[in-house]
Order: sequence, then structure tokens, then C-alpha cells
Amino acid sequence: MQFQVIKKETLEEEVLYAPLDPGPALYVLPKNLYNKKYAVCSTNFGSIDNAFYVKENGSKETVRLPDGIAHFLEHKLFDDEEGNVFDRFAYYGASPNAYTSFTNTGYLFSCTEYFHENFDLLLEFVRTPYFTEESVAKEQGIIEQEIRMYEDNPQWQVFFNLLRALYKEHPVRNDIAGSVESIRSITKDLLYKCYNTFYHPQNMAIFVTGDVSPEKVLEQVSGSLEQKPAPPRMDIERVYPQEDSPVNQREVTQKLSVSEPLVNIGFKDDFNYLRGRELLFRELTHDLLLEMIFGKSEPTFMQLYEEGLIDEHFSAGYVAETTYGYTLLGGKTKDPEKLYDRVFSSIEGIKKEGLSQQNFERHKRKMRGDLLQSFNSLEFIANNYLSYKFRGVDFFEILDILEGVSLEQLEKRLHEHLREENHAISIILPPEGSSE
Amino acid sequence: MINVEQKTIPENINVHLLPIQKFKTVLVTVFIHQVLDKDLATWTALLPAVLQRGTQEHPTYRDLKTRLEELYGAELAADVIKRGERHVLSFSLEVINEKYAYDESLLQQGLSVLRSVIFDPLLENGGFKKDYVEQEKEQLAKEIQGLINNKINYAVERCFQVMCAEERFGVYKYGRVDDLEKITPQGLYDYYRKIIQENPIDVFVVGEFDPESVYSSLKETMSCSRAPGVKEIPPEEVDILPQEVNYHEEKLPVNQGKLNLGYRTRVSYGDEKYVPLLFYNGILGGFPHSKLFQNVREKASLAYFAFSNLEKHKGVQLLGSGIDVSNYEKALGIIKEQVELMKKGEISSEEMENTRRGLLTQVKTLGDNPYNLVNFFLDGLIGNRSDNIESLVQRIESVTVDEVVNVAQEVNLDTVYFLRSLDGERGEVE
Repeated sequence: MQFQVIKKETLEEEVLYAPLDPGPALYVLPKNLYNKKYAVCSTNFGSIDNAFYVKENGSKETVRLPDGIAHFLEHKLFDDEEGNVFDRFAYYGASPNAYTSFTNTGYLFSCTEYFHENFDLLLEFVRTPYFTEESVAKEQGIIEQEIRMYEDNPQWQVFFNLLRALYKEHPVRNDIAGSVESIRSITKDLLYKCYNTFYHPQNMAIFVTGDVSPEKVLEQVSGSLEQKPAPPRMDIERVYPQEDSPVNQREVTQKLSVSEPLVNIGFKDDFNYLRGRELLFRELTHDLLLEMIFGKSEPTFMQLYEEGLIDEHFSAGYVAETTYGYTLLGGKTKDPEKLYDRVFSSIEGIKKEGLSQQNFERHKRKMRGDLLQSFNSLEFIANNYLSYKFRGVDFFEILDILEGVSLEQLEKRLHEHLREENHAISIILPPEGSSE
Repeated sequence: MINVEQKTIPENINVHLLPIQKFKTVLVTVFIHQVLDKDLATWTALLPAVLQRGTQEHPTYRDLKTRLEELYGAELAADVIKRGERHVLSFSLEVINEKYAYDESLLQQGLSVLRSVIFDPLLENGGFKKDYVEQEKEQLAKEIQGLINNKINYAVERCFQVMCAEERFGVYKYGRVDDLEKITPQGLYDYYRKIIQENPIDVFVVGEFDPESVYSSLKETMSCSRAPGVKEIPPEEVDILPQEVNYHEEKLPVNQGKLNLGYRTRVSYGDEKYVPLLFYNGILGGFPHSKLFQNVREKASLAYFAFSNLEKHKGVQLLGSGIDVSNYEKALGIIKEQVELMKKGEISSEEMENTRRGLLTQVKTLGDNPYNLVNFFLDGLIGNRSDNIESLVQRIESVTVDEVVNVAQEVNLDTVYFLRSLDGERGEVE
């Protein structure tokens, strides 16, 4: 097995790729000037993957999983027969962590010394599930507190309320950690079932960066596969419900202990199974479009700010996944209704006036600079590389794809996507009786 | 090895140049030091907000943002930071390396925007522009009131406010809403003029650049008329022994209680016991292998987060966790027990060595992030500690358990702060 070189002059980066069979896909980005060494091992399994069937069984009997199981599994994979692997990473000075998103789960560590020992440990614990009824029960208490913490987080609440307003069926509407009730139905057997289904090497990828020896990294991954060969390939079909265009609910309001209201406005995009360059292209097109309407150098932002309707954290962005996509904008405001009216009148105004070529070039240049700036961070590069890889695109193509975005495409999506019919609004209000 | 070139530019502005190759950007940061004081804090906090609204050269926020976007999305940020009992105005500019921009004067152009924000504000009638000041007063009031929106930060801030109510450290970095009314555009400008004339100013540059030419452009762009002597910022009050533990409770409509314990270590950053204190903090609650995480979370499953944090200049420490309110006694008991174990010297060699390696990793990776690097050297200036990364690494390698236990003996609990729920109340979706 030899590495293929993926070289990107525009970024001055060079990533090495080893197409292991059946997986995991291995990427190494040597960064000799950094002291930090970082590795992340991801599986293409997240909170939205809550229903599937196994194709070779012939039957299409769908297995349904409780909400929050991907996240629960992420917590429990750190366990081993002696307790958990934190101490073993600590012995080598590494700082381990993990995350679960809507679409994938990542296990990672950073260190300066003993990279190869730590990397072996990562490969070992991710490939060695150890669940007991007792440890599952214990984790329920911990995750319950994690959920409670998010319940008190207004930004999290306003966001998930919006997703539930936008989507009727799609599991993106469910909290990543699930609910206190849903996690009570998680058992050790269910965790093993999930693990065996979604943690197959063919469904996984690894990204390593820092001053490491790529050959040695490859040796370690191959060694792990030899020592514990991958089980036969499983042909799994994930099942996502049919989600049509109309939003579930136009408006949702919740009261929380906040100093002023919080608003999220969302626009639901069509369900279209985009992948690869097309998907990244769509994301960049929309992010640029939103910058041209709501960016800090645009008149709308300034007017709203001067009237005290928004603060400097007001933001807008687009999320592009294969099974869903939406625009999200908002922030804190003293007057949700007025802000709402102004957002829509700005969009209508831009539709009438059209977008300016000069502004377009400037925003594009800014986006290019912002992206380059993010490339200072090894974690940013590694995590994004894998997350885009699972969506079928090489993240290092991002500057080239950005170059290809044209004003015409922005105009087109402005009219197709930012429509009143497919929007929803989520509002958090301060408790009654408090001032404003 | 990261070398810092120290220089000065007239009058009395210190320049610290850190030429490093690996980054895709160059970061320039300007710090203006001020004392943290309850009667000045609101004034100081309002300054970065007003200064960012417009300058003589770029009179509106839009003009300024448009200019920065033209410079490949140069990032300009201004804020106040709290370091011990110092209130520091911080201005930063990050531009991408010129080789990605096909523009050889990008840094120079960025510096000129930064200069304009710090030294050439938009003025009218002998003060800042009135509209900007009034709008930013409203925004700052919302910022101050908005502390409550993030319950974890709120509980940390409140714990220290209660604990240091009579000390400068108890002052919130964004000040007080009540002070805003009396601030006028002229008064604020006079206050700012005095600060930039008299207070210490430090400039840091990190990234791939030519030190000689950057130094000469700084001399040109950052020059201003300053008083011949630089004002001294008084040191922190560190040596305070709590008389008895202060138990403080606050009720809000929340789903999770936040339990914070505030300790006084009486060791500040410049102290030779500081590195043993880092171990103390690390073994107790700085890592997943630490006593708090292992006992409060992994063994008792009472919390999702349980940590310990050090404020290195003031020498205060906070042990925090998010728990169900019904578990208050239980969690408090476990946390206090961990502190007692530290005092008794019940520290395994594994805990000691794992913490040592963890600290070494943290220190050795400081140089991988330009902002962390600047903060490290800024802390050194403030705390009067001349360590570089290599000497700090050496010190960490030499710390013994006895040194850690000695520090543990000196740590005293001052305040137990508990943010709890109202009885039987929860947020509801309508």
C-alpha cells in the first residue's frame, strides 16, 4: 500500500491518501513546523441516522434506533474493561475528546510526544467496544445532565425549536443528545447493534496531521486491520423519511431566563441528495448570497444595528447536507416582530434591485481570506476534511470551488430559495414580568 | 524555540516581534493597559465599541468593514479583557500572508486601518461622534444584562463577584449599566486621550514577516504623542486569607444547578510557587484524568462537566460543575473531599506524572496558535514573569509532589456559590 499525493497549490498544502480495503480511508497531512500532533477517527454515523435496514437480508424490515444513541455510543466507546481510556491517554500526555454531529461521530486526541503510542490507543479503543448494563445506567445520569445543560442554553434551544418548525419528519429535528426519556431506552445490546452496523472500517475515515511519519501511521492502521480483520462488508441502507417542501410550523416561541428576545429565522431548502462538489458549491453560493444581503459591510446590517434591533453577533449562514439543507439567520433583538419584517423587506429589496458585481467580488475575496485564516488550525483542517469527505468532496478544493461561484447562481438561488413560503421563525422570550 | 525581539517606538510603546513561519496569517495586537476599577470599568469597556464604529479615514462602520473586506477579509477586533486586576484594551488585526493575496502591501494597508481605529477616531464637537456613543451605550447595556444568557459564565462571574465584592477583581469587565447615563461623548474622549497618552502600550506581531521592515512601518503607523513617563498599573491584591466560608445561593428559572467553589491560593503568576500550583489545579480538575472529572462525573455520575480553573494573576481558583439541584449536598461533599485529599498529599505517582505530561503538552503547543502565543507573552508582562516556553517546560519537568502538597496546604475555600432553580419551574414551548 502506498500513499497517493493530493496536492493543492492554492493552499500550499499536500495531503497523503491511502485507500485501504475495506477502509478506513486514511489521510495524513504532514505539518513539520507544528508541535501539536492531531489525529481524528470518524465514522459516518450521526444523530440523523436513526433508521436502517440490512440489504442482504432480503427483507426491508427497518431497525429504528432511539434518539440520541449515536451520541450515547460516543460517550461509551471510551470505556474498557478497566474503566475508561482517559488514564491511558493521560499517561502519554494526550488530550482525548470526541464529538457527535448530525451526520458523523469523531474521536480525537492531540499531543506533542508519544504520538504513535497515542495513535495505537485511538485505533484500539475505537475498534474495541465494551458495554455493560451498569456502565450504560451510569452514563444515563451523566448525559441527563448534559441535556439539562443544553435546556438552559437559549442559543441551543432557539436553534432546535427552529429545526422542529422547519422539519416535520426528518430526524435533523431531534436533539443530538436525544431526550431524557429517549436515552432511558438505550441498552447495552442496542449499543452493540449500532456499533456493529456503523463502525465498520468501510464506513470510517482517519485524518492525521502534525510532525509525524506518514509511513509509520499507515503501518499502524494496516497493523490494526491485520490484527483484527474487518468483518465482512455490510450493505446497509439508511432510511430517511420523505420530507416535503412546506415547513412543519410557521412560528414557535419559548420562554427562558434571558435578558432580551432571541430570534432564529430559517429557510428550508428542497430535499435533493446533493453530494460532492455540487454540495460544497451550493453551500458557498448561499453563504456568499447571505453575506451580500446581511453582511457587516451591507446597508441592512448597519441600519438594523443603528436602530438597536441587532447586535454585532447577528449572523446568517447555510447548512448543506445530503439529505437536508437550510438557511439560518438571527441573533438577539429587542423587537422580534420588527426584526422579522425588516429581514423580509431586505430580501424583497435585494430581489428587486439585484446584486452588484463589485460587492460580489469583495465578499468573495473576504471569504477566501477567512478560509485561509482558518487553515492555521490543525483541528479545523482535520475535522472539516473528514466531514466533507463523507459528503463526497475533497475539502482542499474549497478555494477552487469558491472561484467558480458566479453572481448568476446567487441571483437564481435568491429567488428560488429565500421565499416566504418556506420559512419558519423561532423566538425565545424573557419570562413574563421582566423588563422589555 | 520562539524568539521575541523587543523594541520600543516613541513614546514608550513596547514592540514584541515574533517572526514564525508556519501560519497563513500575520497577527498584530495592540494592548493598552488600565487598572480594573469599579468607577472606570464602564468607561474603559465602552471605548473599543465606539472606536470600531468609525474613524476619520473610514467614518462609518460600513466604510471600515468594506475596507477590511477589500484586504482579503482582514479581521479587526477590539474588546476589553480582564487579567487579574487589570483591564486591558485589546485591538487585533489579522491579515492573510501576502503570498496568498497577490498583494505585497497587505500588512501595511492593514496596519493603517488599525492605526486609524486606535489613534484617529471620528470626532465632533471635541468628543467622539454622539450617535456612535449613544448607540454603543445601548449595546453595552445589553451586553452587561446579557451575561445571564449563558448560565455557566454567569455562575462563574457571580461567584467571583460575591467572593471579591470588596476587591477590584470583583468588577465585571463590561462595567455597570447605571454608569452609562453620565458618560458623554466629550467626557469619554477626554478619558481615552489620557489613557493613550499615559498608560502602558504593548504591540505584538506574530507570523511570517520581515522584522526590520515591520518595525519601521510600526514606527510610522503607531507613532503618537505620549507623556514622557508611563503610568504604573498597581499589582493585584493576592494575599487575602478568608475568615469563614461564604455560602451564597441564587434562584433563577433553570433546569440545571451550577455549583461553583471559589478558592484563594495566594499564589500569583510571578510567584515561584506558580508552577506547582498549576500541578495542583491540574491534578484536581484540569483534565479528564483529574480527581473532579473522575469522581464527580465518572464515579458518581452527578455531572456532565466538573472542572477546576485558575486565574493566574489574582491567584484565585474556581471549581465548577453542573448538577441536578437535589444533588447539591452530595456533589459539594465529593468536591470538598477531593480538595482534602490534595491537602493530605493523596496524589498517586500516576496522577502526578499524567498531569506533568498534560501540562507539558499544553505549554509546548502554545506556539501553534498565534493568539495563544500573544496571550502567553502578555501574561508574562503583566505578571512580571520572564519565562519563555522552554524555561517553563524545564520548570514543569522539575516539580515534585512535595511542592504540590505545600501549595495545597495554602489553598483556602472562600465562597460556595450555587445557582439553583425556582421550585417546580421549567421553560415551556408554546
